[in-house]
Amino acid sequence: MRSLSSSWRPLLLPAAVLFAGSWTAVASAGESAQAQSEPAPPALAFGQSVDGVSDEDLPYIYTEWENYTVEDGLPNDHLFSVRATAEAVWIGTENGLARLDKKTGAIQSWKEEDGLPWRAITSIDVDPKTGDVWLGLFGGGVARFSGGRFDHFHQLNSGLVNDVVYGVAVENNHIWAATTAGASRYDLVTGKWDIYTEKNAPMEEIWNYSVSYAPTVNKVFLAIWGSGCLEFDVATEKWKDYIDPDKEMEIDLYRDDGIIHVITTAASFADGALWVSAYFGCCRYDGRHWRGFYAHETGLPSDFTNFLKARSADEAWFCTDKGVGVVAHYPTDTYVAYYRNADNPGGVAKVFRRGRLLREVPLEISIAHNFIIGVDFDGDDVWVATAHGLSHGIGKGYYRGVKRLTQEPQSIAAASSASADSK
Amino acid sequence: MVFRRRNTDIRWLGPAFFGLFIIGGFGPAVVAFEGASRHPVYVGFKICAECHAGRGSTWVRSRHAQAYTALSKPEAQQIAKLSGVPVPPQQSPLCLGCHATGAEAEPWERDPTFAIQDGVQCEHCHGPGSEYADSATMRNRELAMKMGFRMPSKEECHSCHGPKGSHDAVLKRERLDIDTLWAKLRQPVPGSSDLTDSSLPPLPTSPKEPAFVGAASCAECHEGPEKQNHFSAWRQSSHADAFAVLATDGAREIAAAMGVSGDPRTKLECLKCHTSVYHRPASHVLGTACVYEGVSCEACHGPGSQHAETYSRPQTDEKNGLLKVDAAACLSCHENAHGKPFQLPENLAEASHPTQAREREEAEPQYKTPVNLAVSPDGKELYAACDASKSVIVVDIASLRKVAEIAVGAQPHDVAFSPDGKTAFVSNRLDDTVSVIDTQSRKLTATIPVGDEPHGLVVDGQGAFLYVLNTLSEDISVIDLGTRTEVKRLAAGRGPWSAALSADGNWIACTNVLSHFVPFRTPSRSEVTLIDARQGMVTLRAMVPGANGLRGIAWHPSGDFALFTLNRHKNVVPMTRVVQGWTITNGLGILWRDGRVDQVLLDEPGMAFPDTTDVIVTEDGKYALVTSAASNRVAVVAVDRVLKLLESADETERAKVIPNHLGKAAEFVLRWIETPVCPRGITIAPGSNRAFVAASLDDRIAVIDLKSFQSTEVVDLGGPQVITKERLGERLFHSAANTFQRQFACASCHPDGHVEGLTYDIEPDGIGVNPVDNRTLRGILDTAPFKWEGLNPSLSRQCGPRLAVFFTRVHPFTPEELSALDYYICTIPSPPNRYRPFGAELTPAQRRGKEIFYRTMTNDGRLIPMDNRCSTCHYPPLYTDRRIHDVGTKLPLDEHGLFDTPQLLNVYNSAPYLHNGIAETMEEIWTRFNPNDQHGVTNDMTKDQLNDLVEYLRTL
Repeated sequence: MRSLSSSWRPLLLPAAVLFAGSWTAVASAGESAQAQSEPAPPALAFGQSVDGVSDEDLPYIYTEWENYTVEDGLPNDHLFSVRATAEAVWIGTENGLARLDKKTGAIQSWKEEDGLPWRAITSIDVDPKTGDVWLGLFGGGVARFSGGRFDHFHQLNSGLVNDVVYGVAVENNHIWAATTAGASRYDLVTGKWDIYTEKNAPMEEIWNYSVSYAPTVNKVFLAIWGSGCLEFDVATEKWKDYIDPDKEMEIDLYRDDGIIHVITTAASFADGALWVSAYFGCCRYDGRHWRGFYAHETGLPSDFTNFLKARSADEAWFCTDKGVGVVAHYPTDTYVAYYRNADNPGGVAKVFRRGRLLREVPLEISIAHNFIIGVDFDGDDVWVATAHGLSHGIGKGYYRGVKRLTQEPQSIAAASSASADSK
Repeated sequence: MVFRRRNTDIRWLGPAFFGLFIIGGFGPAVVAFEGASRHPVYVGFKICAECHAGRGSTWVRSRHAQAYTALSKPEAQQIAKLSGVPVPPQQSPLCLGCHATGAEAEPWERDPTFAIQDGVQCEHCHGPGSEYADSATMRNRELAMKMGFRMPSKEECHSCHGPKGSHDAVLKRERLDIDTLWAKLRQPVPGSSDLTDSSLPPLPTSPKEPAFVGAASCAECHEGPEKQNHFSAWRQSSHADAFAVLATDGAREIAAAMGVSGDPRTKLECLKCHTSVYHRPASHVLGTACVYEGVSCEACHGPGSQHAETYSRPQTDEKNGLLKVDAAACLSCHENAHGKPFQLPENLAEASHPTQAREREEAEPQYKTPVNLAVSPDGKELYAACDASKSVIVVDIASLRKVAEIAVGAQPHDVAFSPDGKTAFVSNRLDDTVSVIDTQSRKLTATIPVGDEPHGLVVDGQGAFLYVLNTLSEDISVIDLGTRTEVKRLAAGRGPWSAALSADGNWIACTNVLSHFVPFRTPSRSEVTLIDARQGMVTLRAMVPGANGLRGIAWHPSGDFALFTLNRHKNVVPMTRVVQGWTITNGLGILWRDGRVDQVLLDEPGMAFPDTTDVIVTEDGKYALVTSAASNRVAVVAVDRVLKLLESADETERAKVIPNHLGKAAEFVLRWIETPVCPRGITIAPGSNRAFVAASLDDRIAVIDLKSFQSTEVVDLGGPQVITKERLGERLFHSAANTFQRQFACASCHPDGHVEGLTYDIEPDGIGVNPVDNRTLRGILDTAPFKWEGLNPSLSRQCGPRLAVFFTRVHPFTPEELSALDYYICTIPSPPNRYRPFGAELTPAQRRGKEIFYRTMTNDGRLIPMDNRCSTCHYPPLYTDRRIHDVGTKLPLDEHGLFDTPQLLNVYNSAPYLHNGIAETMEEIWTRFNPNDQHGVTNDMTKDQLNDLVEYLRTL
């Protein structure tokens, strides 16, 4: 059954109780979740202003979550990918594809016996012009799902370079696939397949982990294990590479000198900023300056980041092995981390700024699992693919950046009250 | 246009005679590739003649030298037609493959001294010569071979001189004796050694004069039907041989009689009238000109560089730098020349080349062949897309008279109107375009490029978007009618064919003529594609099991369902079943809005309804009218009876029984209406109680009264009354009259003369063995022998007794019919290649793929045996050696592994591949079905190399 968090609001305690305490004091509020996060420096008192930004300037915090599992109709709880459209949410799992109809809430699923060409779906993208759904298949190539028909493209029947596909993206009339042996580009009009490897692209390694397309700049971004991030200009067909300048594998020797690590997992471009994730942290590039994000400095759940997606130049969501991390407002160095408790569906959302914990909001229903591997935005809402189901963060009243709130927002206040009650 | 320079570095030709041919060695080619691998380029016969002067003179007078210009002859047009070549022969890679040198080469692979107009030159057989043509290299045979010099075998002559049905049929001459010619070719040629640089007189020069550019440069503009083939006319004249003839004994005798001793080719007295460059002074001679062209354009018109640079300006000849040619110009050489009579004005007229078209020979009858119809939204006019006449014919519905004919693209197939009726759209399947017609002015206002071989088309209810079904590229172009540009492509089924818009304007249903790929030896599964016109997206793909050949489609006015025509080919049972009445059945499909599909047959026991082609539903929804192209009938179907039949049946009956039941048609077919020949498209004029049927092979439109369901009138579209041999063959091809119980026609398995993509078990080699894939008929004639086993030497055998025994099970065609049928089959056009327009450069991927196609070494440096290279069996121009080989594709059902080498022209559009159609894509030929490198050495290739190879193959 899907679980909603709205019913527990009346039970919450005033938020001030929660946010007045130190990091240590706060820790007890969400003990199980806190145990998974990195230690953080002591927080300053609530309301203290730094560089003109008050602790009362808060980002939006998702306090309302609903989760979906096999009990709700998913073909499998081990999710690899999620993609939201206006009408539906497409979910790729370890064994099957699902479509959640946003209007009716109904979930339809397909497994191999239903025509799905391959069981494991690592990536999903939807062609905005045709509505066709493109699937990256882990070991099975690429599939197009169109009007109920699956078309299977693999390394034997097509020009796809390799069947181990981690990422898929629609770029104009092309389909890109990030594979373990390079990137492939399929021209939907001419049928031509291009392969990009070390032969014709600046790929020191060819293990492509992720691909995304930024229509505003008409560029494709590849995240590559061992080759950083590659940018492909569609108009000129020129490559640009972003690699770790210090070339150190274990440490980030020179802070913010470039991409954080040469082993990257995802790249996402929004509003002029490129965000890149790695297993060693994440980073952001505005065209002039790089900025790295580490858990021990920011309060993000973990450096081990499976995936990321940017919502804007100021906001990006990181899918880590210990929870969801959000750069909620880059200019003010504000973060939110979402955790799930180990022994119940609840969890906590923690707000940090410059390493200080500002607030901790208990969640009666939190994300479905702390191992996160996919995320997508859906207007104000957000969908998260976890190792144990799909999470839907309902962004009622969502706002960008931070707000100096004249009064505690209802959702946060309610959450804080509940937290106090539970104490 | 401006004069097309062959190279920006066009150089001077100096006065020294053989320096005339080229200055700076092989400059352009070598310079272009210095620092990279030295890719050989074609240098042209002029360079070869530098050392092989005697052979050059012999060659100039040979048929090889005139091979290109032979393509301008009327016979060449006939041969091209019989080869399915829909473009002028001089623009066909297929024709040029044997009538020119380097037909496959890219522009940069041709040195400025090379001209394709020079026909079959030395390098056609010996390979492009830039790297071996210098004398030092040529004196070292081993080195020359390393640098690309080839010594062809006699066998290679067969690639062009082997039996060719098209040439035999037109030229009707004895086949060349290659053994004799081969021996002659190898004989030493006199006169090669007595011609040296120093023995030539200096060129007459005048700095004020323009430069000589050479006849091939003139041919850039003065060739082709619109220019009366000026260049070809000259090349076939004795003027073109004027220098070469000086090498003959006769010339020496004449020279001696004139008191000129020595080689006439070195004597100014002779050269003055036997060459252009010595005939009059010029500032210099460009590398595109040479003495071997004898007396060419510039001998009479003067050096042409200025003219060539400025010809496009509307100036007089004088201002363009050309001389006026009059009798005096001729007499300066011909008056009392060698005792040969020269008479004016006859001889001048003979040499002239008028700019006005000569009186044409009697033209072939031009048929119309209406294939699809549409009624204008106001119900006043009927538009007919006419395949043969490249036009749309407008019929006034009130008077039932043809009122206009509008030229459109090639092979127009379907027509549709905008909702306001101001614009009509026509799909042109040979051109890959849509013609836009202003219906008020009846003018063509635009041409929109779309996908490959567009057929059906429909405008959405708002008139905002046009949907065009691209049959060969298997997608649907969505055209924004505001900008008249394609905004997206939707994935279709296989072979999208016809489209229909629902009455509420929300849904577009599309048929697909080919089945999806299915597992080997399993029944077809075809698709009806449903598009939400409000979103422009495919929302449903309804599957039609056991069916293929889905063509016409129409919505019921209720919008609850659409009706579409279908065939059910029983290709997984042996063809012996033809006598049991159900090798191919024909019927209607019902597509319900939820995606469910029902099927009913329109055949009756003993009387099939072959090739159901189009369907329309009456305005009241009570009746459906279905055309049978192969039996010249229209069936009137009572829709409510069909629905009642289905409602009364259980699920099993609907799925298994009714789709195969030959006795059900009697329950719902009210009447069969006879029509003129080959009815295809059908439509209804709203409010008129009349239906119109395109009788495609009668050039008429039959009018059916919807009250009496009688064919009441016909509209003559103005086609010729005579029935030519080709037309008779076309009728036979589309008729089921010559099959048992009229079950099917040739066109049933060869829509548009192509393939339906199915594999059959044909009886002659035993039942249950040797299933073979259907093969295209496009461009078939010169690919003999036929069949996958390569056993049938001629089409007459293929379509004659063999067809009667194993397919039609009735008396074979009469000799006259068979001849006509074969003739028509040969004329089925093969579209120009879409991946490499004529004369275009290859893309980098295609270029890399070409290298792989012709490679001789594996990636790890192993020599690929000659008999296991792509180009050994698939050599141009047809890319087949027309022999059988075992390429390791034998399956348990095959008795042997020897199969015919298929031609590769337009191979990209004839999936599936291999003899049994087991490879769905070209990639699979090598990734799945070549495990032991028997079908070429391919397993060392990387994936990107295979992609490149596929890209190249698509250009053939």
